[in-house]
Amino acid sequence: MGLPGMDSELIVKPEGEVKIETSGLGLFYGEFQALRDVSVTIAARQITALIGPSGCSKTSFLRCLNRMNDLISGARVVGEVLLDGRDIYHEATDVAVLRKRVGMVFQTPNPFPMSIYDNVAYGPRLHGRCSRSELDEIVEKSLRAAALWEEAKDKLRKSALDLSGGQQQRLSIARVLAVEPEVLLMDEPCSALDPTATFRIEELMIELMTRYTIVIVTHNMYQASRVSHYAGFFLLGELVEYGPTEQIFENPKDQRTDDYVRGRFG
Amino acid sequence: MRRTRQAFDEQMQDLQRRLVEMGAFVESMLGNAVRALAEHDVKLAREVIAADDTADDMDLAIEQQCMRLLALQQPMARDLRTIGTIMKVISDVERIGDYSVDIGRTAVRLADTDYFKPLVDIPRMTDIVRQMLRQALQALVNRNLDLVTHVIECDDAVDRLWYGLLDELEGIMQKRPEVVPQAIALLLVARYLERIADHTVNIAERIAYMETGRLETLAPSHRADYRRPESAEGGPATD
Repeated sequence: MGLPGMDSELIVKPEGEVKIETSGLGLFYGEFQALRDVSVTIAARQITALIGPSGCSKTSFLRCLNRMNDLISGARVVGEVLLDGRDIYHEATDVAVLRKRVGMVFQTPNPFPMSIYDNVAYGPRLHGRCSRSELDEIVEKSLRAAALWEEAKDKLRKSALDLSGGQQQRLSIARVLAVEPEVLLMDEPCSALDPTATFRIEELMIELMTRYTIVIVTHNMYQASRVSHYAGFFLLGELVEYGPTEQIFENPKDQRTDDYVRGRFG
Repeated sequence: MRRTRQAFDEQMQDLQRRLVEMGAFVESMLGNAVRALAEHDVKLAREVIAADDTADDMDLAIEQQCMRLLALQQPMARDLRTIGTIMKVISDVERIGDYSVDIGRTAVRLADTDYFKPLVDIPRMTDIVRQMLRQALQALVNRNLDLVTHVIECDDAVDRLWYGLLDELEGIMQKRPEVVPQAIALLLVARYLERIADHTVNIAERIAYMETGRLETLAPSHRADYRRPESAEGGPATD
């Protein structure tokens, strides 16, 4: 087994258009190094899943892709993260614009304590879209894209907190879509949902994938195998193996990946 | 303390044990069928024919166990390849049982017939084929790819014996038309043995896949450009 990031056989570069590329990415929380030398290519308009045991830093990696780790005191990044070939950690990067382009959906649905309409309109309003007709169009388009329009169209003025868990998560997705991102980062988006809601979100991901690049962190290996095209296995802050999903789950090259997907860890 | 997925590992070991048992059962069917043919033993032949039901039951039981493991345990990687391999292999083993039954039926038909020549090549082919089957199943249990290679090499020996017998009996039938029915029956038995060898090669190729994750045609005789080997007597290939 070579060092991750250095053993080219274990880290496969996807074919086709590249959306995100990391090179020697490292992340420190103070003195503690959470991520080590991660070099990976994420293809455009595909679903990439990141798997690994708890504490392996897959969420930390995800948060590097839109600089959410900047919000953590003492967090420091080394290496590069290129979005469409440009380093997002360059000092000239407008972080607000970055987070519009690279949106994030979190594990626990987090609707704002306001109406369904205002939840979705919040982002566009912040970015200067104020006309009622424009916002109406954005809200409908985003809710349709998130497969929530039919259930929500007759209660747009009702509180988002009245929605079910699965609906709230789809609302969270609609909120991200409303600002027209290019990339969706999803941090265990279904872990708080029941199986039916989970399958709906997965179907939504597959539908959205034609228009957006999706990177999902998941504890659920079976979800990763169901929805993703590429998968990466993280362990103790290192990207151990990365390749086509069928390779990771049918015939992984690294023994650690094999042990993990077969449930032989611990 | 039990290790992670110990229960699943135990079920996998049980699955492999059942396959080995099925293989041993079918191997003994084959041995008995050819012995019944050689010794004109109708009772033994009928036992082989009756044993087919047991082999079929074993096939079905193992398949059901595989499906249950797939549904309930969601195996991945090597575990998934192992279960997939076993599901394919039981079909090959079950076919070997069917061919053994065909040989048993031939033994019944020829029970009252004196053989126009001693049975030499058929028992030789049987010995090789039985060893191939044993080694193939050993390869599965021990994950031994050297045994896989040996099984595939033995297939050539079986092919040579088959083509040699074909040439020999063709010659005899041309000179002695009265032995044609018996010769055809014996040719069919030899053909069954050659097909059993092919099934054993299938098993070996599947075991190689189980270990390496690569599906490959390893036996030359399974390739489209295969040319029959020289006969066992060393004559040139004729097709």
